[in-house]
Amino acid sequence: MSATALADASHRLAAESQWAVETHGLTKRFGENVAVDGVELLVPRGCAFGYLGPNGAGKTTLIRVLLGLTHADAGTMSLLGYLVPKHRDVALARVGAIVDEPRFHGHLTGKENLQILAAAREPESRDRIGPSLERVGLAGRADDKVSKYSMGMRQRLGVAACLIGDPQLLILDEPMNGLDPAGMAEIRDMILALVAEGRTVVLSSHLLDEVERTCDAVAIVDRGKIIRQGPISELLAGASLMLQVECSEPDRARALIEGANIAARIEVGQLGLGISLPGGTPRDVAAEINRILVTEGIAVYRLQEVQASLEAWFLQVTSRLGAP
Amino acid sequence: MAAVLKTSPGPGTAQSGSSRDHRGSPIPTGAMIATRFTELRKRRGLMIALIVVNIGIPTLFLTVRLLAHAFDPKSYGPAGGYSIYTGLVAGVMYVFGFIVAATLGCTAGSVDLSEGMFRHLVVTGRSRLALYLARIPAGLAIVVPLVAIGFTIVCAVCVFAAPTKLSYDGVNVPVGLSRAGLENWAEAHANEVICNFGLRVGPSTPKADLNSVLDNVRCGNGVQFGPPSVSGGAKPTEAEIKGVAAQIARTDYADYASQFLYPSNSLMIKSGLWLELEALIGLVVGLGLASLLGQRTISVILMIVLEVILTPIFSRTRIPHLLNLQRAVVGVATAHLTPGGLPVLGGGGGGPGGGNGNPLLIPESTTVAVCVIIAWLVVWTALGAWRMMTRDA
Repeated sequence: MSATALADASHRLAAESQWAVETHGLTKRFGENVAVDGVELLVPRGCAFGYLGPNGAGKTTLIRVLLGLTHADAGTMSLLGYLVPKHRDVALARVGAIVDEPRFHGHLTGKENLQILAAAREPESRDRIGPSLERVGLAGRADDKVSKYSMGMRQRLGVAACLIGDPQLLILDEPMNGLDPAGMAEIRDMILALVAEGRTVVLSSHLLDEVERTCDAVAIVDRGKIIRQGPISELLAGASLMLQVECSEPDRARALIEGANIAARIEVGQLGLGISLPGGTPRDVAAEINRILVTEGIAVYRLQEVQASLEAWFLQVTSRLGAP
Repeated sequence: MAAVLKTSPGPGTAQSGSSRDHRGSPIPTGAMIATRFTELRKRRGLMIALIVVNIGIPTLFLTVRLLAHAFDPKSYGPAGGYSIYTGLVAGVMYVFGFIVAATLGCTAGSVDLSEGMFRHLVVTGRSRLALYLARIPAGLAIVVPLVAIGFTIVCAVCVFAAPTKLSYDGVNVPVGLSRAGLENWAEAHANEVICNFGLRVGPSTPKADLNSVLDNVRCGNGVQFGPPSVSGGAKPTEAEIKGVAAQIARTDYADYASQFLYPSNSLMIKSGLWLELEALIGLVVGLGLASLLGQRTISVILMIVLEVILTPIFSRTRIPHLLNLQRAVVGVATAHLTPGGLPVLGGGGGGPGGGNGNPLLIPESTTVAVCVIIAWLVVWTALGAWRMMTRDA
């Protein structure tokens, strides 16, 4: 089989892959410290994927390994169906990425910085510089030196640098850093628009609220390992059920619920009872609690199911792992 | 933020582009070289420093000499000329050209890393080797014209503002005389020749005659040239004095013949190429060193130490058992390629045979010198490229 035929076959196989990012047993060590520990990550194509974890969990290191900025010690990985590092050049041609804080040559204008990057890409990318700058809202400042840019503007320039390659996959490491609320909303809208165009966006962020608003699926990483991954709705379905109960006699109510042999963690606060039920608990339990309280003559003013947030779930999952 | 990227119908066109642009190829594209050139050229501080050192200093020196000569020609000699040319080319432009090129190379080799652009470039998927190699032609596109401009100014002034008479050992002598012509001229200016010309006495020179004449010729304000004759011999005749003057002229002729009012075209071409070679070495070695170390300041300091301290020492000092190591220093090799007629770095004339004609230099054949230079260029390029290819971004 000729080299062209092999390349064509490789492209065909890559196009058939349903995963934008796929890793198996990916490991990266820095001396004794294992920053990425046997990561098995599957990012579906055409979605916004959040990559969450506390500081030092190994998020940026995984991204650097994926992009070939540093080598992996073990495991396999592919981007857009292309094995990396074997087909790194072909894979990265269709990937745009911001890793850490985006930095550029300060003595050059934003446009000139993009020209340097475009020169390293395919010739068509030079035609995309103007539209990319316009898309991130920097068209009016394109001829200003980057040294005069604010942090937020450099973030936007980083996104524009991703877009000049017309990428199928964008990997954005903390893209909201340094942005004001309006800027964050703009980036959020842009990510959603990019996904709507059929691109895949992998978003690493510590802003759980932003991830929840932007992403369809997430992976939670802690101490270099992925501990949960999947669509947000499915993950939250497994989160504990929270009930907020406002009643006349909170202390007696607590004793009654505990006496009813319901597996729950109960706290008495200023707003009444906070009842935490394990994930998967049927909603009928809430009705049962209400019935117990009313039967015992306790006035129930409000019984509300609190929607589990990604943040609450994230803290739940990571704190459980963090426990000795 | 409302504008949409309209250059393509959707994501994925980059795939066809990537297969066409040979992104994995180690050969840099013209666009990569051009943008790298722009990036370096727009470093205002660096460019000003390079222009000042490479063009400004020789220009200022020559301008001062031109003005001084214009206002007071009796006290100040012509601005140009052969000796000024050799002094500037071998003493200033050679060293400064290297340092300028090395500084540019060190900058090109380290700024992507220090300014955070290296990561962006690696993420494009472009071969790291191509990213490295693009810096060499880009740097040369800056440093070669800089050296050429400075050198052209020096050549122009040294040719067009050259003295009209040759000052040989402090005596104005007509230029371009044949051996017989110089002897005739010496006979006509016997006292000046005997008092001022260097005595390049050979084994066949009849010293007795010389001594007799020299002891009796008065120089300057009636001062006798030599010690009073103890022998109390007869005073030499006019013919004898002329004969001695002609004899001195004969022995000095080889040295006189190598003196010019201004540099020849051949010497200027050779010197220009030699300076550009030195600049090329400075750029490539500086680039490799900075890429290897990952930072500019230390690399520049090391390059200056190599050029200003180590090279003169290794060129002149014969260290037993380390002669081959000394020969492997690139500055020693380029000193051996010094064009004939130029003084060799650190003093001493290159002589007709160039650097190889200078007995003060440690011995090294031209072939070995060329091999050493090629080896330095290849090894430092390989080291810099290797580090760039293996470095964590």
